[in-house]
Amino acid sequence: MNLFTIFCAHVRARLVELLRIPAFAVPTLLFPVLFFMMFAAPWARTRDAATGSMLSFVAFAVIGVTLFQFGVGVSAERAQPWERYLRTLPAPLLARFGARLICAMVFGALSAALVVLYATVRTPAMLAPDGWIELALFALIGGVPFVLFGLAIGYWADGRAALPIANILYLLLSFGGGLWMPPAYLPHVAQVISPYLPTRQFGELLWSVMGTRIPGHALEVLGLYAVVFGAIAVAGYRRDERVRYA
Amino acid sequence: MIVTAQNLCKTYGTNKAVDGANFAIDRGEIAAVLGPNGAGKTTTLEMLLGLRAPTAGVAKLFDADPRDVTVRRRLGATPQQSSFPETLRVREIAEFVAAQYPKPANVDSTLGAFDLDALARRQAGGLSGGQQRRLALAIAFIGNPELIVLDEPTTGLDVEARRRVWAYLREYAAAGGTVLMSTHYIEEAETLASRAIVFSGGRVVFDASPQALRSRIRTRRVLYDLDGECVDVVSSDADAVVRSLVNSAVPFRNLRITESSLEEALLTVTGGNV
Repeated sequence: MNLFTIFCAHVRARLVELLRIPAFAVPTLLFPVLFFMMFAAPWARTRDAATGSMLSFVAFAVIGVTLFQFGVGVSAERAQPWERYLRTLPAPLLARFGARLICAMVFGALSAALVVLYATVRTPAMLAPDGWIELALFALIGGVPFVLFGLAIGYWADGRAALPIANILYLLLSFGGGLWMPPAYLPHVAQVISPYLPTRQFGELLWSVMGTRIPGHALEVLGLYAVVFGAIAVAGYRRDERVRYA
Repeated sequence: MIVTAQNLCKTYGTNKAVDGANFAIDRGEIAAVLGPNGAGKTTTLEMLLGLRAPTAGVAKLFDADPRDVTVRRRLGATPQQSSFPETLRVREIAEFVAAQYPKPANVDSTLGAFDLDALARRQAGGLSGGQQRRLALAIAFIGNPELIVLDEPTTGLDVEARRRVWAYLREYAAAGGTVLMSTHYIEEAETLASRAIVFSGGRVVFDASPQALRSRIRTRRVLYDLDGECVDVVSSDADAVVRSLVNSAVPFRNLRITESSLEEALLTVTGGNV
């Protein structure tokens, strides 16, 4: 018996569980590519414009999966007797969390892959071969603050509130971050706020893959957000532990 | 000792849920924790399972901290409330739990023992309350544990299912397993347990065999029919009741004398609350 077997059991159980919930699997996987088809693809006539849009919707896909997996998921499950039961099992708590992380990466990658597939087939979007590797790496790094953002929502919002909160923040921040339309086309107020949003900086990080833009302070700002969201998430986790397991 | 509670206390704000509980349970015992609602049964079990930290005192399983992974490999549990990931099938849940243990039991035979073989492919969200309860019990045994901790295991089960669970628990204890369970069913304690640990107000007020609990009170019930109605007299001297009945020439019929129930004994030791 080793940790790896236990970990795999957790990953398998969670993947099967999620894939069988159409209300989770379908919107998570399809919304980003659908939004891309409807709102971005028609205007993506040049290679640069199309590639930029594709990268924006990759960010949109990753953010959606992390906010829903960690925000809505944690919030709904932490109150369940099943979570309490799992603590009586010999598995470390981290196995459960690790499985959630792996699932988020799988779903995030699938959701982003659908955007990439559609964009490269139906629009002029294209990256250099090493650009794709860079994109995968940046999407992974840039996803970290959103995982922590999700956890902060998940541990502070109760089951029913988490879904609307995650939804509203997801849509507002994506819009304000210039993921649906280039930041230059945003309304004036949004343009002023935009650079301070984590979504915008995630976008900047991914757009830099094209080589035509520099990421600026994207990593630093995302790092700062990771620290802030992380602290809120840890405080929420401790509060939950105190209430349920003290 | 398999289970040790030493001066165990749990305080929530000003409420002393458990107030200095002491008991120890040895291998092969079936110990039933009895007592009224709010007596501290569930909180005590939760501290022993490592789900809650004692305010004072010691909760140990296998002479170690219940939060220790090596301890939990030897433990199976069914909490009072159960829920399952709704879209997972019964067999998938059992396999998931089995995968956490070093030497799990056979998944199919364990499901069979709890009458779940026909439901193995059913998603957990579609199970009835009784079926969910049986699954919660089955997965407590799936890791082949040395100790089983059950919080009101048969609540929500019909009579037949309850008796099957009892038979399974008896076999398990006979094979060297140890059971610690809370229950509201006195019949459960009486037919199954080798120990009755009675809680009241967060304290252990009685700890011996269920038979000793019954003999704690020597009252008998004298029942007879009079004018088509049943009369029920509880007395510490049944003989005197019968003697005076006969002497007074009351036209009684169908005279019966029975032992008072365990429930009445429980009322005596907990001071009137069940």
